[in-house]
Amino acid sequence: MTAGIVQTGSEERPGDATDERGEGDAGYSQQRWWQLLWSNTKARVGIILLLAFILIATFAPLIAPYEGTRSDFDALLPVSGDHLLGTTSQGADIFSQLVYGSRVSLLVGLFGGLVSTAIALVIGMWSGYKEGTVIDDILSFITNVAIVVPVLPLMIVLIAYSEVRGIPLIVFVIGITSWAGHARAKRSQIITLRNRDFVTAAKFAGEGSGRIIFREIMPSMTSLVAAGFVGASTGAIGAEAGLSFLGLGDPNSISWGTMLYQADSQGAVGQGLWAWVLAPGLILALLITSLTFINFGVDLLSNPHLREDS
Amino acid sequence: MTTTDATTAAATTESVPTSQTLAADTRRNSHPLLRVRDLSVRFEPKMSPALTAVDKVSFDLLEGEFVGLIGESGSGKSTLAMALLSLLERPGRISNGSIEFDGEDIASMSQEDLRHRRWRDIATVFQSSMNSLNPVMRVEAQFRDAIEEHSELRGDAVTERVRELFSMVMIDEKFMSAYPHELSGGMKQRINLALALCNRPRFVLLDEPTTGLDVVVQRSILEAVRRLQKEQGFAVLFISHDIGTVMELSDRIFVMYAGQLVEQQAATTLVKDPLHPYSKGLLGSYSNPRADTVRVTYIPGRPPDLTRPISGCRFAARCPEAIERCSSDEPQLLPLAGGRVACHVAHLQRGPSEDKPDGLPEQTTRFAGPEFVKTAEDSDRARRGEVFLEVDSVTKVFERRRGLRKQQTLAVDDVSFALRKGEVTALVGQSGSGKTTLARMITGVDKPSSGTIRFTGSEGTIAVEKLRTRQLRDYRKHVQMVFQDPYSSLNPALTLRYTLTRPLRNHRGLSAQEADAVAGELMETVALTPSNRFLDRYPHELSGGQRQRVVIARALAANPELIVADEPISSLDVSIRAEVLELLQELVTGHDIGVLYITHDLLSARLLADEILVLSQGRVVEQGNALEVIRNPQDAYTRTLLDAIPNPFEQATTTS
Repeated sequence: MTAGIVQTGSEERPGDATDERGEGDAGYSQQRWWQLLWSNTKARVGIILLLAFILIATFAPLIAPYEGTRSDFDALLPVSGDHLLGTTSQGADIFSQLVYGSRVSLLVGLFGGLVSTAIALVIGMWSGYKEGTVIDDILSFITNVAIVVPVLPLMIVLIAYSEVRGIPLIVFVIGITSWAGHARAKRSQIITLRNRDFVTAAKFAGEGSGRIIFREIMPSMTSLVAAGFVGASTGAIGAEAGLSFLGLGDPNSISWGTMLYQADSQGAVGQGLWAWVLAPGLILALLITSLTFINFGVDLLSNPHLREDS
Repeated sequence: MTTTDATTAAATTESVPTSQTLAADTRRNSHPLLRVRDLSVRFEPKMSPALTAVDKVSFDLLEGEFVGLIGESGSGKSTLAMALLSLLERPGRISNGSIEFDGEDIASMSQEDLRHRRWRDIATVFQSSMNSLNPVMRVEAQFRDAIEEHSELRGDAVTERVRELFSMVMIDEKFMSAYPHELSGGMKQRINLALALCNRPRFVLLDEPTTGLDVVVQRSILEAVRRLQKEQGFAVLFISHDIGTVMELSDRIFVMYAGQLVEQQAATTLVKDPLHPYSKGLLGSYSNPRADTVRVTYIPGRPPDLTRPISGCRFAARCPEAIERCSSDEPQLLPLAGGRVACHVAHLQRGPSEDKPDGLPEQTTRFAGPEFVKTAEDSDRARRGEVFLEVDSVTKVFERRRGLRKQQTLAVDDVSFALRKGEVTALVGQSGSGKTTLARMITGVDKPSSGTIRFTGSEGTIAVEKLRTRQLRDYRKHVQMVFQDPYSSLNPALTLRYTLTRPLRNHRGLSAQEADAVAGELMETVALTPSNRFLDRYPHELSGGQRQRVVIARALAANPELIVADEPISSLDVSIRAEVLELLQELVTGHDIGVLYITHDLLSARLLADEILVLSQGRVVEQGNALEVIRNPQDAYTRTLLDAIPNPFEQATTTS
């Protein structure tokens, strides 16, 4: 069975390059990662959706008919040509709010995901590489504490007590509260790689630990890191919406979470103002779905066996 | 566990059967048990180009016949095996041809019908003995499952049958109630063999059944296979890259190259007079270790890319005997000299003389390609070098806590020896003999429990056992390693340029440009020329032999005085092993480097080493001049290791 896989696997391909025939053969090489990602239907849908969101966020001023923060319309106008989804009870245009809200979600998703992934990588990789040493004990202890501490109350407390509100604060809070699970995953992944011969070889080449971890081992885990990042972004987007829904968001900007917060506090459901509640909720679900779909594609990169099944 | 294996090995050594006679008898009065015609297996993955891994293979396997299938890795041996068992998985499928078992086509049979035949008519032993037993079931229960599914036996009768099977493979019946993890690798594989035989199959497929096991254990298992095959008369297709063993055990041999059978021949004939140049190349990798001068050949290049159309003979590009016709006409597998061979040259050489074209090479029995030669004089010269590493009564004890008791394992016991410049010293022993632990202590990875290791290099004498982490990095300027598996010791994500320049910058303190230039020189040293064509490649673009060259180049980068080579050729195909040996030999003589060569294989030790140390259970049981140790082994353990080396040539001379 193994042999069959070896023969078709991308690793060893007879005649990729040989002494004499080398040049010609180099022409067709392995599948590029983006081709692989694109070949998966789910991932393709996810990428198209995410690109649409990014375009909407970038060109929000062109797409939205009004400023997102403007609230000088008549309250509770019905759906019409002027107000595609009507207005809120404070007199804001729901459609414009929705368009501008995508900016916050994407920014928080990007930076929250980056911060969380960066912390997870440094702590998880280092502790896994030093498995069994005091360094690992300390880092694992910190990770375990971070896993055990209930995240939502911690986030609420951190934000409630801080002087300034705003997107950077939310990114920071999400970053430092959500890395632990990923760090654990990275730790176990690096443990399977750190005893590979090429790591020993790097030690014999006189490399230091930092370089071995991030230059030698990490490239072999790129797809896992990418999957971790997409997952962390998804989590960050959800967390931002959740915090804003609880009224802890940035009061000066509009996000889908704050829209939901306002809709809820004004009793939108009771009054039957469905567009106000459903629009931000559904669009949020759509963004998260698109990221999840992308992660299906990323899985294909890290696990070649999945490629044939899709 | 190892002792049981060793005793069984000793017990069965005498009864190596040469059952050509038996097989010949059965052959006369039976139609083929397995009839394969034009079998092709095609892999059509979604993401990469399709290829035909097995291409129009036809053969007959007679009742009770023992057939060996040999070829380099990637030649399609295992794919053929999977096709015969109808176990191909997506994206592979049988695209053409038929497989008739006892007159019935099993290639087109439904899985449900096959299920009844599997294990009763057709059984198999897979390569990975560690994984094919269910870890959560006791061994007896696994036998019971298989026996009750396919026979009428129930209850005590099954236990009785299991007991009988255990005694067949010479395992104590107390292990019937054991879980797989309580057994050694050799025992597991013998139990797998017993499991395969539990329903008295008529055909057993063995796909590299002993790969990954110790030489001595391998030997005992294969002898069990041969003995049982003789007693019970089932047919065997035995796949292995260990050509010597296949030659010794089989009645008939199939040689496979690039998805096609290129030669079918009786084993004794193949040893004496191989027809296909590829067969000659494979056989050339064996030599008699007892001779004054050992010569082994290797096949340069690598197999063709099967995803592209090939015209002419698939071996032509690597063949030293190729003639013009070979690159245009595809040779057919036609009868010749009692067997079949697909080679224009072989047919022409043995055909009528008027057909012979000009420039037809002389008829030979040896591979006419490059060869590696080691003479006794080379060794004598090397053994007069200057001592630079002294290991003095080194002992290593591993402690493990088991509940309240502390368990001590003596891995290395009072070992002393010295290494000389320009000399290759081989540490030979089975797994668990302490050779790797010893190497780890010499490279500073582990510290000895007692004893001293003194290294005298360009920067004075270093006490290796006292080195701290930072000093260890400096010590590695002097001591470098060549790893067993070139597929895992090169980082797949980094270019060769990066891999090679790092030790240059770290150990020699060169600037980026200087390192680049020296990396180029290193590539030239290991004959990967022109270097700039290789430096920006990734490891997966190279063949196994080329990769191992890069690993050696990296080890050389630090200008070391000692290279520790841990089984540097055992994971390579036999056809290219000599190529790497030759390179190592050049380095030793050319650079005056000392090499510590760690291996379980006395034959390869003889090929490279000047001095041999035989390790058993942590102790040096024999030490001396390589040729002397092999010709005149003093210790019983050395003799066991020597007996485990298959020697098809010797058998051929005694039987003829």
